[in-house]
Amino acid sequence: MAENKLVTIHVDGRAVEVPAGTSVVDAAHQAGVEIPIFCHHPRLEPVGMCRMCLVDVGTPAIDRATGQPELDEAGEPVIRFFPKLQAGCTMRASEGMVVRTETEAVAEARRSVLEFLLTSHPLDCPVCDKGGECPLQNLTMRYGPGQSRFTWGEKYHFPKPVPIGPLIALDRERCVLCARCIRFEDEIAGDNVLGFENRGRGMEVVSFSDPAFDSYFSGNTSDICPVGALTTKDFRFEARAWELVGQPSVCNHCPVGCNTMVDGRFGQIERVMPRENAAVNEIWLCDKGRFAHHFASDSARLEQPLVRRDGELVEASWDEALGHVAERLAALVAEQGAGAVGGIAGGSLANEDLYLFGRFLRSVIGSNHVDHRPALLRDDLIARAGLVGEARLTELGAGDTVVVAGLDVEEEAPVLFLNLRKALRRGARVLILAGRPQKLDAEASLSLRYQPVAKDSLLAGLLHAVLAAGEASSADTPARTELAQALAGYDAERLGQQHPVRAEDLSAAAAAIVGAERLVVCFGRELAEAGLAPALEALVAAAGKAGQEGSGLLAVGPQANSQGAADMGVLPGWLPGYGRVDDPAARAALAEHWPAEPPAEPGMHAESMLAGGVKALYVMGSDPAGDDPRFAEALGRLDFLVVQELFLTPTAALADVVLPARSSLERAGSFTSLSRRVQRFHPTCDPVGASRPDWEILRDLGLRMGATEPYASVSDVFDEIARVAPGHAGLDYASLGAAPAAAPTDILLPFAPQTEARSVSYEGTAYRAGAGAGRCWAVREASADSALAWRPAGSEAAPSLAEGQLLLVTTRRLYDAGRMLSASLVMQPLIPLPLVEIGVFDAAARGLGQGDRVRVTGPAGSVVARLEIVDGLTPGLLQAPEGLAWSLPVRALTRGRPMAGVTLERLDEAGEARK
Amino acid sequence: MPEQHVVLRNREIPGLARLDVYVAHGGYAQLKRAVTEMQPAEVIDLVKASGLRGRGGAGFPTGLKWSFVPRDLYPKYIVVNNDESEPGTFKDHEITLENPHQVIEGAAIAAYAVGAETVFIYCRGEFWQEMDVLRAAVAEARAAGHIGPNLHGSGYGVEVQVSPGAGAYICGEETALLSSLEGELGQPRLKPPFPAVAGLYAKPTVVNNTETLANVPAILEHGADWFKSIGTEKSPGTKICCVSGHVERPGNYEIPLGTSWDELLAMAGGVWKGRRLKAVLPAGASAPVLAAEQMPGLALDWESVAATGSILGSASFIVMDETVNMAWVAKKTIAFFKHESCGKCSPCREGTWWLKHLTARIAAGEAGPDDVALVTQVVDQMEGKCFCPLGEFAQSVPRSTIERFAADYAERSAAPAPAAAD
Repeated sequence: MAENKLVTIHVDGRAVEVPAGTSVVDAAHQAGVEIPIFCHHPRLEPVGMCRMCLVDVGTPAIDRATGQPELDEAGEPVIRFFPKLQAGCTMRASEGMVVRTETEAVAEARRSVLEFLLTSHPLDCPVCDKGGECPLQNLTMRYGPGQSRFTWGEKYHFPKPVPIGPLIALDRERCVLCARCIRFEDEIAGDNVLGFENRGRGMEVVSFSDPAFDSYFSGNTSDICPVGALTTKDFRFEARAWELVGQPSVCNHCPVGCNTMVDGRFGQIERVMPRENAAVNEIWLCDKGRFAHHFASDSARLEQPLVRRDGELVEASWDEALGHVAERLAALVAEQGAGAVGGIAGGSLANEDLYLFGRFLRSVIGSNHVDHRPALLRDDLIARAGLVGEARLTELGAGDTVVVAGLDVEEEAPVLFLNLRKALRRGARVLILAGRPQKLDAEASLSLRYQPVAKDSLLAGLLHAVLAAGEASSADTPARTELAQALAGYDAERLGQQHPVRAEDLSAAAAAIVGAERLVVCFGRELAEAGLAPALEALVAAAGKAGQEGSGLLAVGPQANSQGAADMGVLPGWLPGYGRVDDPAARAALAEHWPAEPPAEPGMHAESMLAGGVKALYVMGSDPAGDDPRFAEALGRLDFLVVQELFLTPTAALADVVLPARSSLERAGSFTSLSRRVQRFHPTCDPVGASRPDWEILRDLGLRMGATEPYASVSDVFDEIARVAPGHAGLDYASLGAAPAAAPTDILLPFAPQTEARSVSYEGTAYRAGAGAGRCWAVREASADSALAWRPAGSEAAPSLAEGQLLLVTTRRLYDAGRMLSASLVMQPLIPLPLVEIGVFDAAARGLGQGDRVRVTGPAGSVVARLEIVDGLTPGLLQAPEGLAWSLPVRALTRGRPMAGVTLERLDEAGEARK
Repeated sequence: MPEQHVVLRNREIPGLARLDVYVAHGGYAQLKRAVTEMQPAEVIDLVKASGLRGRGGAGFPTGLKWSFVPRDLYPKYIVVNNDESEPGTFKDHEITLENPHQVIEGAAIAAYAVGAETVFIYCRGEFWQEMDVLRAAVAEARAAGHIGPNLHGSGYGVEVQVSPGAGAYICGEETALLSSLEGELGQPRLKPPFPAVAGLYAKPTVVNNTETLANVPAILEHGADWFKSIGTEKSPGTKICCVSGHVERPGNYEIPLGTSWDELLAMAGGVWKGRRLKAVLPAGASAPVLAAEQMPGLALDWESVAATGSILGSASFIVMDETVNMAWVAKKTIAFFKHESCGKCSPCREGTWWLKHLTARIAAGEAGPDDVALVTQVVDQMEGKCFCPLGEFAQSVPRSTIERFAADYAERSAAPAPAAAD
């Protein structure tokens, strides 16, 4: 990669060294000199539209004869100034450049441009949501004219405001036409949904898409809008900026771990803003993360413990409820043994909750039946093969290769999608292995499509090609040779018969993998559920990247702390920090911190527990009954069920005791992101009723049942985790919250081919950094040989299809009908109604049309949905997004499997099937 | 000096728009000669040596512009700027209607010279008739093998596409033209990169005015020395002057550059109705106004007109007699620039909007005591701050009329307030 040459420029007499090509505005910012801007944004390409950044620029005069700088009598270089002021945003720093921002001409230019902008501005600051954090307001106070000479009646007027999209309102009178919103959507989000229409003063921002402003990232445009033109419908007229108190938090809606600042007033959340973390989300946040916070204040939240008395759940005190749980569990253990008790947790709880959950069940109760669901990781894969070092996905670029396997990036991890788009812009290669189309295909370097029933053969073929491509550079080890022999039959020709993959694409993919400086493999549930994650481990090892700094796997789990749930040992066979349950040394090490050593036998998986394997269940933040009626039945047969929850879910409704928990917005704790970054969140609003943090509930229950550790705070729990889990050694709760060391004034050039991303913070809506960027826990030393142990099974347990059946594949959408999202009124209209997706050819062959009502009948029943025809979907497939308002959840329809054979019928208006 | 028709040969040759007539008068022979007998570099050198300068307004040396195109980047494009939208300019209109093949041939020679194989002729949105003529001419020339693939067995081919604009003045600016041609909003782009390096579809592109390219076949036919023998040393060749306004015979007059204003005015029959000349806008609405006393003896070439503080531009002379009030002229030109401001940069977008109100107030005799001073201040505030030349051009007329015709403003300011409506 070409290193960017550093140049020295002088801004108002201050010398500063910046990479050549840095804009004068950014260079001045680095020198500590403000050049006011509206259209420029350090993360967008410059356009030079607003003319606010005009400065006096000179460059050293070059003697034509010698090619050397001309010198004056004092031996100083002669500086030739441009005859006109130059736009600092589009002017690039070059060696010896001199910039003057304090001249009268510059001051006059700023006054002039501000006066021009204000001639069309409605000056309705008293009712404008941007007031108090508005660059136009601030810069006018700093540089503008004291009064206007423009006649009010001659202002350009628009009806105001108009909805430019479902979440964003546009006030065209306030708009200064800087195009930041348009450029954000084009350059960063890749959604070409906004544009300008008309010209001159009549120009306005419009959305060209249908539906309007069709983007998962629309809220960001409100943040970067330098005036109050774009406001979110959620926060509009809710509060004044100066009344808000921000608390740092971490988004709990997906595993990316975007840093947020939750702004509240009077103990209530008013808005969620992105908080800058240069390694994770930069300054971006998806609309789900921004607008889904309303679940916390939903009126259906549980406020009091509930205990079942005479068949009814009735309110009880904490003392009664916990006493009841302790008594019943103790009795059950005494009567039927500890193995009769199991625990299932969810993946969106904090590390501290999950750690104490495992500790309570394994050590206080004495049962290894501990699991989390839905689970992506079932073992220590990430400790063995995770990305080595601190993952900084925002810094990927030329030379790096990212493999996206079995994952719809934008739907499952939206800001990871932004990271990968940026990596592509910076020259990285992104390869997609997937069974169906996704948005990133359009920009990815290469997209390999597998048949969903034969995923392993494509992975075997890719591995085969990687071994062949790496032959010249990698030493032959017995493990490599053996793997190569085992994969001998998986050549491109054979794969071409099974998958729509061309031989040259396969070899190009292998070359990109072998030739990568850093190889990052992100995988999702689709491959993990098929047991194919070890194939990806083998891929990294075969490429010679096992244990290499910056290379390795990233598990994109289904929930915000899926990674943490595995790390904390909420897996039947694995202890916190990935000690094996059946390893005596690992158990003994834990016994130093725990009340008792855990039992030696690995426990049951959640599915077995829910299939009648246990008599009593402790469920924390998980809703099996809501996911599948079979589970509801099984839960109904239990002797004792305890549920810790935010809402009275179908599972909680079956419980003997319901314990009201606090959401992550109302308490402190830590999540571990998909890049293993452990990040702290803080209480941001008042708790609901008598709810308590999950870890506290578990602590107090433990104390009643023989545990002795009186953890005073969440940091006590975390610091125990750091002592117990080897990878977490060296992390401590206090330092996770410390501000990043990088100076906040450092500049990142978003389009420059450089590897180092640094924090950047400018005027306007605050992206307050400084609350701690978290740290990644450390993976173990890699062993390339054992990583190469994977072999294709040859045949996957594929569902057999009857005549005329389609293969139903369940997918995930960012917007689902779960309570976390549907509690937000602005988001509700965006949640799709139940739908299934079919390919163009299948639809034509069956005479089906877009929007038809269809009935899908699977192994466990049938559902009715709207049909959507999707371009590029493999023939024979039918996709159904999970989590919509299905009459029967699609994962229940398939009996919990990722795929099933289904029949599809079109319904007429009366709901009858048509031939 | 009399008129000399290098481009407007249609004045002497009836039916020149027809291919057979054009070919009978030497048409397409120079393109054939270029592709079969000349190296591309020779063509560029010849045009450089001729001293041909852009006829669209800026007067940039054409051969030099061609030589900026990098050799090793493909594809490349020639774009003919036929957006003719400067008020008072109507020369390209006549050229394309009456002598379209000379434009096509010139553009094809330019394409050969820089290594482009596609020519786009971008026509202003209102040029429906011109586009019909051009499209028919292109089809005819292609059918006859004058343009198209593998010309005369040389292995070189060139295709010509006629594209409509959508009616925006700003699209005469070359980067806005390219955006419009790509189907984007017609707004100017940042330079650098210059079109020669990254123009249409980010590929090397030469944008030349219609009249400029129509001169090229003649230069190939008669040579650089012949071309330099016409006009002045720094402004060789002829220039079509569009004379409009208060003259007896408005129209296009192709004269050797350096011809005096007096001769041009005489060709146009002098100021109409026997009135006295008051002022001239020498380059449509974009140039500072010239007062009558600056005109006698003025040589019409780029250097001489620039010496007066105005510009020759595209040589569109709007002639105004003694009855015209210059505050009204300022109002009219500002109304035009306000209407045509693309809106991209704040000083032009807001400045022209503001000036529109001020100049309208003044012209209507409703000005406040500070309004004329305010016009000067607003144009000062715009000066040097706009993204593209349009915003800078918009200042020319109000500034120059206030400077040179203060009495006209005083007259309007002193005018009695209009009677209240009944």
